[in-house]
Amino acid sequence: MSEESILRVEGLVTQFSTDRGLVKAVDGISFDLHRGETLGIVGESGSGKSVTNLSILRLVQSPPGNIAAGKVLFQGQDLLQASEEEVRLLRGKNISMIFQDPLTSLNPVLKVSMQIAEAIQLHHGLGRKPAKAKAVEMMKLIGIPDAERRADDYPHQFSGGMRQRIMIAMALSCNPDILIADEPTTALDVTIQAQILELIKSLSAKDKTAVILITHDLGVVAGMCDTVCVMYAGRIVERAPVDELFYDPKHPYTRGLLDSIPSVDLSGPDRLYSIPGAPPNLIDLPDACPFAPRCSRVMEVCTKATPPETVLDTATSRSVRCWLHTKENQNA
Amino acid sequence: MPDSQNLLDVRGLKVHFPIEKGIIFKRVAGWVRAVDGVDFSIKKGEALGLVGESGCGKSTTAMAVAQLQTATAGQVFLEGRDLASLSAKDLRAARKDFQLVFQDPYSSLDPRQKAQDIIAEPLRIFAKNGLITMDEAAIQRESLSLMDRCGLSASFATRYPHEFSGGQRQRIGIARALALGPKLIIADEPVSALDVSIQSQILNLLKDLQKDFDLTFLFIAHDLAVIEYFCTRIAVMYLGRIVEITDAATMARNPLHPYTKALLSAVPLPDPRKERSRRRIILKGDVPSPSIEYKGCPFRERCPQAMEKCALSPPSLMQAEEGHQVSCFLYGGA
Repeated sequence: MSEESILRVEGLVTQFSTDRGLVKAVDGISFDLHRGETLGIVGESGSGKSVTNLSILRLVQSPPGNIAAGKVLFQGQDLLQASEEEVRLLRGKNISMIFQDPLTSLNPVLKVSMQIAEAIQLHHGLGRKPAKAKAVEMMKLIGIPDAERRADDYPHQFSGGMRQRIMIAMALSCNPDILIADEPTTALDVTIQAQILELIKSLSAKDKTAVILITHDLGVVAGMCDTVCVMYAGRIVERAPVDELFYDPKHPYTRGLLDSIPSVDLSGPDRLYSIPGAPPNLIDLPDACPFAPRCSRVMEVCTKATPPETVLDTATSRSVRCWLHTKENQNA
Repeated sequence: MPDSQNLLDVRGLKVHFPIEKGIIFKRVAGWVRAVDGVDFSIKKGEALGLVGESGCGKSTTAMAVAQLQTATAGQVFLEGRDLASLSAKDLRAARKDFQLVFQDPYSSLDPRQKAQDIIAEPLRIFAKNGLITMDEAAIQRESLSLMDRCGLSASFATRYPHEFSGGQRQRIGIARALALGPKLIIADEPVSALDVSIQSQILNLLKDLQKDFDLTFLFIAHDLAVIEYFCTRIAVMYLGRIVEITDAATMARNPLHPYTKALLSAVPLPDPRKERSRRRIILKGDVPSPSIEYKGCPFRERCPQAMEKCALSPPSLMQAEEGHQVSCFLYGGA
């Protein structure tokens, strides 16, 4: 990717203190996001993908959450060191978010136009009337029919797909540099999902908005992303350009995941592969590869030490965290 | 009359829910036509998949088949017996033959019962009512063997549901459904709450059990890929009606109804090259409300191929080719 890096996350650690011990939800994550790039973060529930993104905007509730280490560099500024006020000015203006459930993330007692206009008023200093006009314009842009009339409706008067469109209108109203979409279509039906993904794709291409797309659906990743990070137990186990990830996965977990999904065009095998066992408990993880108990290619070293990140290609920053691919093992 | 080859025959099934208005003097202001005339049959050993978007009536169909929801009209025949005509006592006995697996493995298990007791409960109830002869020791043995068959170690027998992961809980739900040796399993979104790696474990388990126990499935899901993997035949529902029904391979390669085509093209493929090259049919608008009575085809307003006559009368399910029925004027019908 020749474009400049717009967001750099370095060694991010986010932990939660619980009654049973310390949960390292995110355990040393690093990645770069470039202008105009769509980065996919995939993983199963509890792999830390949402917490990563909440940490970027410092939205992790504390206590019990705590960002213990790392840097989040946005245009050279470390957001983790910035004051609350500085971060607040970035939220919604430079970096905005779309959440999974559009009903609980909208305010039920405010008209939708007011909710879209709020960020515009705040960040552009526009008055109420021009902000509302801009909100209506956004609603038209994202394809809400009869936008002028519907601007005065409340969230419950919209369908799930329409609500998610309103969330997108809110998120894009200030032309952000980065859009973080956390499972934006998981609550929607497939035909509506197709509409929403198409919308995110075309709008982000238009303004060269960088997108971080968090999802558990590898199909969505294949169609939307340029680069993909696969997360497992709070770590990025593999990072690759989208084609390389799908056609030449390096980590046994990535391979297992890809072989586990049934395909609608019946191109898959007669019997699905399944990864045995379940993801580990994140409390007091031992110093070992967290995937080792489920891995089909487990070796002795895997249960004794955490595999380091091995960069396989510096140009595409392709990397994998697996003892099978470390320098020593490659040469051996 | 139902065909003797079929385990299940559903004829003209309708489930309408009243919309009530008023506080003291309630009056019916309209009807939600959740299921509006559904016909299908399932042969022994077959797995029929019912697919559609939320609100299309697939779960209500399942509940009506399982006699957990009273049908407004139509009949459900299990091995030729009309289930709705049975007395409460006979229906209870007949429930041995059809059991359910639910979507949410969290809310469908009693949090105060141990895993083994959850699985043994159907056996205990049937033994108590004299419908099966089994003593407590046999029930214990049977429930342990079911746990083992569903991939749960015997050491889990005394654990409570909250101590299990989602996939393990779904295994408990499946073991419970198998306890009485049913012929038909009605599985309502059995894997949609699970992660990909766990989903494939459960799908494989269900496939193995189908073979070993000679089971017939009515499998409900919104995920077409899951349905196509698991089922031998597929019925696509839209607004309370079946719009297309055929075998899985034909549905994947040669879908006929414009809605099925759009649905298939909307499913993201886990293959970046195919994703870039395929043409997606993006449907306009949302699924309309099932409380409106449609004069013509209910899919008309979103259909990219709508014609004049689609507005006049609703199409009925017709044979388009051998073993392939579709409800669309593009393929004939007046």
